[in-house]
Amino acid sequence: MSDAHAKAPPDRRDFLLKLGTGAGVAALTAQTAASLRSLVPNVSYDSPTTVKLGLPADFPDGIKFLADERLFVFRQGQTFHAISAVCTHLGCTVRAEALANAQTATVGGSEVRLTHRFLCPCHGSEYKGDGSNVAGPAPKPLAWYRLTVSPDDGQLVVDLADQVETDFRLTLG
Amino acid sequence: MAMRIPLTARKPEPDAPGVRPQMLWSLSPRSDREAGDAIASNFMFHAFPAKVSKASMAWSYSFWLGTISAALFLLLIVSGLPLLFLYVPSVERAYQSVKDIEFVITFGSWIRAVHRIAAHGMVIAVFLHLVRVFLTGAYKNCVGRGQHREWNWVLGVVMLLLTLLLSFTGYLLPWDQLAFWAVTVGTNIASSIPWIGPTVRELLIGGRTIEQATLIRFYVLHVVVLPLGVGVLFAYHMWRVRKDGGLARAEREAVLEQPREVAAVPTKTYTLLGVARGQAPVIRAQALEAPDTTVNAVPDLVRRTAIATLGTIAIVGIMAVFIASPLEEPANALVTPNPAKAPWYFLWLQEIVTDTTIRIGSFTLNGAFVGGVVLPGLLIGLLTAWPWLDRSTHLAAGVWWARARTRQNIVFLLVVLGILALTFVGMELRGPYWNIYWPWEAWPDIPARI
Repeated sequence: MSDAHAKAPPDRRDFLLKLGTGAGVAALTAQTAASLRSLVPNVSYDSPTTVKLGLPADFPDGIKFLADERLFVFRQGQTFHAISAVCTHLGCTVRAEALANAQTATVGGSEVRLTHRFLCPCHGSEYKGDGSNVAGPAPKPLAWYRLTVSPDDGQLVVDLADQVETDFRLTLG
Repeated sequence: MAMRIPLTARKPEPDAPGVRPQMLWSLSPRSDREAGDAIASNFMFHAFPAKVSKASMAWSYSFWLGTISAALFLLLIVSGLPLLFLYVPSVERAYQSVKDIEFVITFGSWIRAVHRIAAHGMVIAVFLHLVRVFLTGAYKNCVGRGQHREWNWVLGVVMLLLTLLLSFTGYLLPWDQLAFWAVTVGTNIASSIPWIGPTVRELLIGGRTIEQATLIRFYVLHVVVLPLGVGVLFAYHMWRVRKDGGLARAEREAVLEQPREVAAVPTKTYTLLGVARGQAPVIRAQALEAPDTTVNAVPDLVRRTAIATLGTIAIVGIMAVFIASPLEEPANALVTPNPAKAPWYFLWLQEIVTDTTIRIGSFTLNGAFVGGVVLPGLLIGLLTAWPWLDRSTHLAAGVWWARARTRQNIVFLLVVLGILALTFVGMELRGPYWNIYWPWEAWPDIPARI
């Protein structure tokens, strides 16, 4: 009796030990994962990406900087386009610097007057008036964003989540 | 020494060895056994060995940089406690509460200055400690049994990283312009990692912009998670030092001298073995136990530890009286200061991210990824793996400028000098738009807003 009895328990003991250890590890893993998951936000309280900028008539011919949206809005007659002021290197806000001699260049198939260039205070990246990067560590051009006219009150609206090509123009009729 | 603990009348040494005559311990022991008792029965000293080699205690060997780092960490905890009562981790009130600490609360500016100077000092001390350990080859194992100094080196590298993270997370808390933009640049480096970068940044700052979620994350990391990590690793670091037989320097005697015969000492327990007088056993002592190369930890090691610790606290306390902590304008996401600089210990990285954007044809690799992730990652990886790459003789362990390690010491020093040079350029020479301005050149007047 004792022989058979002595042989069987270690197997059961072994099984229970493994079961217990496994359960413990699984519980710890699940609790750790749950704790970490709680740190991933489900709701964003960031400011919305679609912003009303004001009536088109309020924009001067040339360039206007909107600090809240970190955006440059350009106007030539009735034609508008918008370029981001967020440096593509590390996210600092670039500054516009007026050129001594304004140039005219073809951007995205149409003529654009370039009156400014953009300089980043953080690491010295430099962009041309159309946002293309020319010097410094910036890896790509400044982003262009879609402009639309709000149907309810006629204000300009920018969508900071909707990046467009450099041929984008908003022309008011 | 007058540091004797007043006991009920001190009894004379009993004749019977091995009998503990008294419950308490003494800082000025009269015998080896009293010195040993002081270690064994004192909670604060129990981490010390009973005996310690004279050479490893030399000021000029280790410069006591590890002890100084630990003293600064202690000082940071102590000075951080009152700040915990005064600081409010909310974007509406953080700046105001730091301003109150600085200008309203009695001794508040001094406590904040102690905390800030100790934090900068700890970055310096821990870095110098690493440089010292490398140059002396102290991560190498020697003749002792069961040594794993290479693991202690790895622990040290991790603690250096934790120290930098502690300092960086504390940098954001005042919620001023300096803080906001240093953290903007720092977290954008994380987002430059291909594919996962933006997700990593979002997890780090708890959203897409630096806001309340960011502040509370950095706050909890700064006051709970990271100090706890350093505390645990510090204990582990100390335990390993003991397991490895003390500093690598201590083994020089063991390497150079053969075990030799010493006379039996009547106060040692082996005389209890019942050996008749005149037939004392022959004892082969390692140099480590020899009386001319070692001293008792109490009082010698205790005294030096106290000097290093109290000296560090005194110097920081006095410096804090004279050096005020900066507090810039409140954080403003709309205005980037020009130039916008990272904390000084990250300026060498900022210099590198400025210059490492790689263009191959139409393919562009962001300098932030190359200089902010790849290069430091390689450097830390190499540093961590170095004990396994260093193939020099074990005789080079614990020796300043060992001839067998000349080449690696020179390369290491060149890297260190390069980092220091880039740090200097970033600190002193970079002006508006990150242009180089020599110290004698005035910065141009640039309006804060266009």
